[in-house]
Amino acid sequence: MSAARNRQPFGYGRAAYLTLNALLLTFLLAPIAIIVVFALNPTPYISFPPVGITGRWFAKFFNSSDFMNALWLSLWTASCVLALSITIGGACALALARGNLPGSRFMTAFFMSPLMLPAILIGLALFQSYLMAGIGRPVWGLIMGHTLVAVPYVLRTTLAVLYNFDQRIEEAAAVLGASPARVFLEVTLPLIRPGVFAGGVFAFIVSFDQFPVSLFLVMPKNETLPVVLFNYMKFDLDGAIAAASMVSILLALAVVLALEKLIGLKAYVKL
Amino acid sequence: MITRRKALQVSAVGVVAAVGAPSILHAQTRTLKITTWGGKWGEVMKGSVLPAFEKEFKCTVSADQAFPFLPKLQASPKNDPLYDVFHTNSNEQWNAVLEDRVMAKITAKEVPNVADCYPYAVSDKIVGVSIFTSAIGLGYRTDKGLAAPKSWKDLADPKLAGARGGYIIPVNSLGQCHLMMLGKIYGKGLQDLDAAYKALEALKPIKLVDFTGQMEKMLLAGEVSMGVIHDSGIYRYDGQNQPVDFAGPGEGVMALEQVLNVTPGSKVKDLGFAYIDYMLRPDVQKMLSEAVWYSPSNRKVKLDAKYDAKLYTTEAKVAQLIQPDWKWYNARKEDIDARVTRILKG
Repeated sequence: MSAARNRQPFGYGRAAYLTLNALLLTFLLAPIAIIVVFALNPTPYISFPPVGITGRWFAKFFNSSDFMNALWLSLWTASCVLALSITIGGACALALARGNLPGSRFMTAFFMSPLMLPAILIGLALFQSYLMAGIGRPVWGLIMGHTLVAVPYVLRTTLAVLYNFDQRIEEAAAVLGASPARVFLEVTLPLIRPGVFAGGVFAFIVSFDQFPVSLFLVMPKNETLPVVLFNYMKFDLDGAIAAASMVSILLALAVVLALEKLIGLKAYVKL
Repeated sequence: MITRRKALQVSAVGVVAAVGAPSILHAQTRTLKITTWGGKWGEVMKGSVLPAFEKEFKCTVSADQAFPFLPKLQASPKNDPLYDVFHTNSNEQWNAVLEDRVMAKITAKEVPNVADCYPYAVSDKIVGVSIFTSAIGLGYRTDKGLAAPKSWKDLADPKLAGARGGYIIPVNSLGQCHLMMLGKIYGKGLQDLDAAYKALEALKPIKLVDFTGQMEKMLLAGEVSMGVIHDSGIYRYDGQNQPVDFAGPGEGVMALEQVLNVTPGSKVKDLGFAYIDYMLRPDVQKMLSEAVWYSPSNRKVKLDAKYDAKLYTTEAKVAQLIQPDWKWYNARKEDIDARVTRILKG
């Protein structure tokens, strides 16, 4: 087939299609553009057009011990949530898809239920439970709260992979003499890995940006970045907020790119 | 010669000491759990005020700056509350006292420095003790050819259509104060809601924000030319060459009190009272007043001339402060919220 035949004529339909896409992209990216302008503009308020370029808000962010402690706590929490949610979510998905469990559809809905509840209620309920149990508000309690809302993401993406999974590959490995553990480690795990890690990326981002659950579970001097930003905004709405947002966006992007590089999320997209 | 028995005894004592020492030390160092603001206030508290208190009273202070304070207090057991000292604006204290979450009254018997405070600090409109107050009035741009507002009615000037600022009333106590003030200016008094609603309707189009910090930025950015704000929200830019100023309208200004109170179930009530007393000391009051431009409650405080000229530091100035009846307002809040939301929708 010639290249000329492949080329579609540029009609009104295509123009409308491209315009719609451009509008959608603008709608999605405009807030980020405003954050960039606010973060680099020297004025302590949002003004357009910007009057110059400054790095003072980034300097303020990185020189503030409150912001830095919050950033590290958020990163630490999100990393723990990533590890816990891929372990719990991956195991749950395997059990639900392969375990021939009675009521597996109900259990799937049950494990997905944290997504259906308002996160602020989950935070409040956990807060009261911890206080009634005399635990207080430890960091591991915060991690558990985040894990609760992050597991459904891993569960959903892993289940999607497992439902499209050709079980004959596992059977072939077993017939050739591989033990169940070896089949799992060398056949099942590599095949479901993109689904598990794609869910893990969501889990990391959900935890890193988590606000409603954290609101009730953070301790004084141990607050996550979104909570610190919210409280800062009530008193000082300056460019440091935008600088912090930029850093958050870049960190989330870095995690996605790193995971893509390490495990190749594109493979999941192809499934 | 060291025998095996001796060695074991010494080891056992060492282990007990190592395990027990932190808890013994912990038992001796009491912890006071408080709520406090962030921003500049939080900086001064964490940098100077709280460390000095901890040193003097040999305790540690756990200061929570993460909102929302009242729901967290309400969710904790009454006999083991999340906070020992509750710092909020006055409206939340009134909600808390209805559920026995804070004490109804604090007197000079528990907090000796209360004796030196202006009467408003422990008036019948206050639950607990007001340690500072701001004045809610009008902030305005000085570069837009506007005269300094003399009356609350100046906000309704047609020239300010779309360039006046107010608050989302259900979530902001300044907005709630403004609504009550509209009742006083255009009707029979602070509780004349019908007049207030009518006056609010007449202020449209008006730009609304959630937080006072946002109002400050809108004034600085020139998005609004005049808006409802507390004096400290404008005075904090003193010396920064910003074209904004504050005016206390002639009809009076509303008081935005910083109230401290002790929770009845606190295990360290004495320390809580000591903390409030400490916050009312003239030197502590002066330090915080001059850092954040709040008017001190203790009448013995002598502020530097620059602050003294603008803040409410004399009996005559303090007489201009109007304290809202939050008990009355909170009892009607649901209906008021529904009505103002309908008025300001869109």
